[in-house]
Amino acid sequence: MDDLARALIAWFGDLPMSDFMIASRRAWPIAESFHFVGLCLLVGIVGLFDLRLMGFVKSISPAALHRLIPFAILGFLINVASGITFLSATPDQYLGGNAAFELKMAFMAAAGLNVGIFYTTQFRTVRTLGPGDDAPLAARIIGGASLVLWISIMTCGRLITFYRP
Amino acid sequence: MTGFFIWLEETSISVWVRESPSMLAFPGILVLHTVGMAFLVGTSMAISLRTLGVAAGLPPRTLLKFTPVMWLGFAVNAFSGTALLVAYPTKALTNPVFYVKLFLIAIALAGLRYLIRNIPGDPGLQAVARPSRTRAVAGLSIVCWIGAITAGRFLAYTYTRLLSTGYF
Repeated sequence: MDDLARALIAWFGDLPMSDFMIASRRAWPIAESFHFVGLCLLVGIVGLFDLRLMGFVKSISPAALHRLIPFAILGFLINVASGITFLSATPDQYLGGNAAFELKMAFMAAAGLNVGIFYTTQFRTVRTLGPGDDAPLAARIIGGASLVLWISIMTCGRLITFYRP
Repeated sequence: MTGFFIWLEETSISVWVRESPSMLAFPGILVLHTVGMAFLVGTSMAISLRTLGVAAGLPPRTLLKFTPVMWLGFAVNAFSGTALLVAYPTKALTNPVFYVKLFLIAIALAGLRYLIRNIPGDPGLQAVARPSRTRAVAGLSIVCWIGAITAGRFLAYTYTRLLSTGYF
């Protein structure tokens, strides 16, 4: 284990909710429930937007569908918060050499980069598209990548428990 | 009932899902159940949120064109959920939380069906018939999905019997 992993384990383990997460019998499943509800909002809504970019359900304009995105962001924030509570309780399970968790973080970084590229290079064009219009090829590829990445993130996330160090 | 549990737990499909070291067995089925949930519940919540007045300017009827995604998620979860039940019938069927989960899913789906039927067919129309009742149904459907997810998570922590075979 390298120094960074050791430092991160110590940092997450010292978070104020750490003791509560360990001591409470219900805190862990409740945090998991939040994580699953957040995942539905995030991946459900982003997934629909990705499908529209890819060329499905073109009768909806991307701009109209984009109005749901604040709820996807809400889902993401719920999952960052609940995810941190998991790390605070058992940081070594995640950071002590868990291939599923490491791959999940790599996919999340890729998804973050993908969405950054989308908003900096494609959104200006995509928001002007009306019903029936095709998104530019780059935006279609970004939408497809987003869908694949989020499904991969969920897959790795669900497998974390089977790759505990 | 215990006789039925023992019979089911000894079938080859039950043993494979439960005991195979393959990541495609129990872990892979859990992954399917998670991904299916995301698309079923996510799309359903988007329809409910729109009914509640969120995302004005998004024609509700066009949003319904995404329902195949939702029903695909439902099909994946009916299949994966059945496989998980076949793997651990005693664990689920002796836990009251499992029936709470199924009941909440039934209410959430009934609410969703009501919304789909009551969203106007004319894409130009923004309003729904009987708006206050439709909004109440949309809110109820969201609450039931959250409840069903919570009950599902608690299934892993509240069971009293794991298997009828091999553990006596």
